[in-house]
Amino acid sequence: MRPKVVGTRVRPLDWDAKTAGTARYAADARPEGTLVGRILRSPYPHARIVRLDVDRASRVPGVRAVVTHRDLAPGVVYEHSGEPYSDRPPLAVDRVAYVGQEVAAVAADTAEAAERALRLIDVRYRRLRPVLSTAAALAARATRVRRREGGDNVALAVSGVWGSAELARSRSTVTVGGSFDYPRVTHACMEPNTTLAWWHDDRLELWTSTQASHFVVHELARVLGLRLDQVVCRDVAVGGGFGSKSKVSEHEAIAGLLSMRSGRPVLVELTRAEEISATKPRHAFRTTMRAHADDTGRIRWFEAEVDVDNGAFNHYGPSVMRAGIKQIGSLYRPDAVSWSGRLIDTNLTPGGQFRGYGAPQTALAIECLVDELAERTGIDPIEFRIRNANEPGSVAPAGARIGSARLVECLESVRELIGWDEHRRDRHPSRGLGVAVGVHASGSYAYPGGNVSAAGIDVTSAGEVVVRFGGSDAGTGQRTILGQIAAEVLDVPIGRVQVIMNDWDEAPPDMGAWSSRGTHMGGHAVKRAAEAMAERLRALGAEKLGTEDVRLCGGRVEAAGAAVDIGELVALAPESADGRLRIDTDYLEERMEPYWTGIPNPNISPSYTFAAHAVQVEVDEDTGEIRILDYVAAHDIGRAIHPGMVEGQIIGGVVQGLGAVLGENLIYEGGRVVNASYLHYPLPRSTTAPSIRAVLIEGPEEAGPYDAKSVGEMSIVPPAPAVLNAVYDAVGIRFHSLPLTPDVVLRALAEKRGAPRRRHHLFRRPGRWQIELFRRLYPLGMHAILHRFGTSFARRRPPRPVRRVVTPASVPELTAALAGEPPGEVAVVGAGTDLTTQRAQGLANPHTLVSVTAVTALRRLHARAGGVEIGAAVTLTELARWARDRIPMLADAVETIASAQIRDVATVGGNLAQAKRCWFFRNGFDCYKRGGATCPCYAVTGDHRFHHAAVDAHRCQAVTPSDLATVFAALDATVRVGDRHVPIGGLYRGPGELRIGPGEFIESVSLPEPGPERRGVFEKLRLWDGDFAVVSLALDVGLDAEGRWHRPRIVYGALAPVPWRPAATERALDGRRPTETELTTLIEREFERRAHPLSGTAWKLDAAAGLLRRAARRLNGDTPEGGDDDA
Amino acid sequence: MRIRVDGDIVEDPLADQGDSLLAVLRRGGRTAPKAACGQGECGACTVLLGDRAVMSCVVLAAGVDAEVTTAAGLGADDLREAFADHVAFQCGFCTPGQIVRAEAVLREGVHRTREEIVRAMAGNVCRCTGYVQIVDAIVATMEKRRAEEPECDRR
Repeated sequence: MRPKVVGTRVRPLDWDAKTAGTARYAADARPEGTLVGRILRSPYPHARIVRLDVDRASRVPGVRAVVTHRDLAPGVVYEHSGEPYSDRPPLAVDRVAYVGQEVAAVAADTAEAAERALRLIDVRYRRLRPVLSTAAALAARATRVRRREGGDNVALAVSGVWGSAELARSRSTVTVGGSFDYPRVTHACMEPNTTLAWWHDDRLELWTSTQASHFVVHELARVLGLRLDQVVCRDVAVGGGFGSKSKVSEHEAIAGLLSMRSGRPVLVELTRAEEISATKPRHAFRTTMRAHADDTGRIRWFEAEVDVDNGAFNHYGPSVMRAGIKQIGSLYRPDAVSWSGRLIDTNLTPGGQFRGYGAPQTALAIECLVDELAERTGIDPIEFRIRNANEPGSVAPAGARIGSARLVECLESVRELIGWDEHRRDRHPSRGLGVAVGVHASGSYAYPGGNVSAAGIDVTSAGEVVVRFGGSDAGTGQRTILGQIAAEVLDVPIGRVQVIMNDWDEAPPDMGAWSSRGTHMGGHAVKRAAEAMAERLRALGAEKLGTEDVRLCGGRVEAAGAAVDIGELVALAPESADGRLRIDTDYLEERMEPYWTGIPNPNISPSYTFAAHAVQVEVDEDTGEIRILDYVAAHDIGRAIHPGMVEGQIIGGVVQGLGAVLGENLIYEGGRVVNASYLHYPLPRSTTAPSIRAVLIEGPEEAGPYDAKSVGEMSIVPPAPAVLNAVYDAVGIRFHSLPLTPDVVLRALAEKRGAPRRRHHLFRRPGRWQIELFRRLYPLGMHAILHRFGTSFARRRPPRPVRRVVTPASVPELTAALAGEPPGEVAVVGAGTDLTTQRAQGLANPHTLVSVTAVTALRRLHARAGGVEIGAAVTLTELARWARDRIPMLADAVETIASAQIRDVATVGGNLAQAKRCWFFRNGFDCYKRGGATCPCYAVTGDHRFHHAAVDAHRCQAVTPSDLATVFAALDATVRVGDRHVPIGGLYRGPGELRIGPGEFIESVSLPEPGPERRGVFEKLRLWDGDFAVVSLALDVGLDAEGRWHRPRIVYGALAPVPWRPAATERALDGRRPTETELTTLIEREFERRAHPLSGTAWKLDAAAGLLRRAARRLNGDTPEGGDDDA
Repeated sequence: MRIRVDGDIVEDPLADQGDSLLAVLRRGGRTAPKAACGQGECGACTVLLGDRAVMSCVVLAAGVDAEVTTAAGLGADDLREAFADHVAFQCGFCTPGQIVRAEAVLREGVHRTREEIVRAMAGNVCRCTGYVQIVDAIVATMEKRRAEEPECDRR
């Protein structure tokens, strides 16, 4: 019989609450008297704690509890992977092993009191030498990250062979190999980890953002010394998981402990910075692999060595590493797979579970090398994979007993839909196609209990069906598909079904949503419970209707000529109570074999899902940007319970996978995450890959509930190798690591071209000697000394409330409001968007704000003879609207700034005056600019590839972030500050620092009337849509009928500390119609003479030259290639 | 301070005059706008301030001079239903912000291309969906509203 509800696109059960914003997340349920919980974290990657005194903190008014490891049982650690790997204490005992490790925690009436108490906790550390990379961990005489028996920094080493290596070797004729690096990336769930814990009536009640209450209950009972039935999680909406919340996220126990000590509900919400820097990211893998094939294009042998950066604690590192290796033995049909793996300890944030669980990391190596094998054997990459595809009913080398397998159909589908053959025939320069495939389990028997689930079904006397399930829906839609299955079995309208999840007071326990087990295990469990309920209802109906010939239909039991609503049957059942008929059933999955019992090649999953992804990319050879032009993802999913949700899982996984290719990467400096904010962590946006098609390849799968196989993790496995293969197809370079940021691409392109190194002739430039000397001394110990000792004198700005907001209505009132106020105490604000951020970042703590938004005179856009005057309080949106037909370059520039929401409120003055975006400065490093002269500039030796200068930098390497400044400079703007009219070039004295005295403020910007022949173009290279410029260019020229340039203005943004004009190039171009070669030659000559890049900013000069060529093409009316026009 | 939110009054002592609008809204129990990035980079806190969609986490509460509308008071049932029908949300955390932003875009005009919608939504991060279904839902709503426009308004 064809299913009625299963397989259809019903509205998600939670749609109304989630679209109206009324769904309750953990932070939304606040019982009366809830306290604010805050965590004190280690500032050092490796240190001994020699003193930990909370006495003063405890005495802060409003503080209700301060906890340390002393509040826990001695020696207690989380179970995590289980013995012998359990190693992490909930709060540091005598040592900290990474920046961000929890040392103590506070619960207080207010956030201010909690933060004050945190500052008063007296911790003394004795710093130990940290191990900050796997290479350092493996070096001779490396510090030991942990005391363990082996004595080295390898937490676990494994090796083995699946199949016959002898046979494989003898059949192999073609070999390729390489090392592939998949970096640390963070989940970036939109909801930061949040727990509300409430200890009352001898029980710990939790509203917590989790994928698996199972692990929360078990781990909290263990570390807090409670019985399992004393910990209960409630059903809350969960704002994303992606694996991060599939086990404990290490703040839940702290919230619980604070509540037990204070006797009050305690809410712990991680900040975004904590979320990115202190929670467990994806494990970085280096996979060194050789792949062998025979002449007919059959893969014969994979040999792989996998090095995994474990971070400071084991967590699930052992199983992530094993799962990654298992991917190599599950895809395709080689004769043998020889493998080894090392889980390496470092003093970095411990790695954790992330969608794909090791598979994306090793698939990168497999699928890039398989592409090379295809090339070497002269076979089309899709055809090559078809020849090697897993077959239905086969057994993979690592033990997977494949049931259904439609990898061939997936490959054929993407070939057709992306236009593979046509595009490869009619090649377009700089564009390429790539393909990659993957395999994933549907649930795995990796932990004891992983093969069981359970569910309950209630029917109420009102005829409602309530599904009770002990797992949690972090956004995958499991709640809806469980409801669909119950509705299907019981034949009730979906509108009469509700699903309660996660709460074990209501539902029988389930292990939760991880390892792609939600649909398979939960689906079977609910199906079984619903079938038992259906049988019971039919029996009751038969009794009531007096016939055995009954069936369930539309919420009723029907017989010939008679029917009864299922709600009416509830009262007839003697076991019903409180108007409810309840049935709970267990589900045992017998097709799985356990992972840990010594079965050599266990079949750990009941079914296996496959996918093929194809992508078309364009590589911008001027800037190094990669654009995703088209993407098709075909998934062998068995059958979809909800096709729309399956498509969502596919597209969402693709985009998350693309994020790791295009820019995501946790960047560390001295063991500390540098880019712990959404500003600096480049997440995919709506414009990143607007064309993605998900294709469902459907067919039977005997193991699945309604033939369903998994989908959520599968989709993140192929994107990275698919893009790398496409980039190779486009530009002929095989990249082996992620992310492919523009710097990586441009450097590789330059190397491929054999571009000569620029010579900056510093010996002839005495003005640069001092800076060059600093830069050379930094790695020789100067950085270390300033970092270690200089920062102890760093200036700090403790947070304090703003006492007053003044809103003057006129310029004189504004001047008066500022008069006599000491700098730092008062801030002039437009919308205040940057000030709000700077306060949170500890960069500003003014006492008074003076708002310019009510000063009518400053809100005017005033056209006058000879030009226009733009008031400082004009919003960016207003400016763009005005400029669109008058000065298109200006409108273009404005529309690249931040987002529409910000542009609607942000002002011209605020944009010009905003502080630099250097990630060290913004994200809490005690740098030269933040902390004062004794502090180092972290950019000199740290990662400075994007937002630092290649020209003219002094002790601070940052740049002015304002795009308006760049474009205004090209338009010869002057800025009015009080009585002064300052040329825009003179407004800045340093990166994002204004030449403005106390009491002064920007009043307006004046632009002269542009000549009728003037044409302008704005170009910007950035890492994500809305980001600040990595390099920007405003080009404004007088263009005559012959296309010659007159009085060209070339202004670069983000290349130097302030907007920068290559004056010699401007002069040389006057009166010429330059070719691209001429442009390149001229600007390169000027870069050689005037630039002074850091090792990581030199590439920005290539990008700057590229932007100039691109701008010239646009000016000459050539079709714009890409840029924002393609977005 | 007193501000109008979804037709009601929210009062707040504003002990810190530098508090964001988001902080005031959430203290006042208006939980539709979400705190996610805290620096105006993700859009989860988007609300209407008058008729403008703004990121309430970086808007000063003290400067608010118009009625605030959150997803809970927005109406826009057709848009919400389209989000449901296109499965344009998963975890739902960014959804109130997406919907407020999308409604502001549609109120500005229903004669836009899909590409313009894609660009207009670039300030709102969604980590779950990959955006395609969000854009589908907005485009579908736009087309429906366009079809419902009186004949004389059509261009």
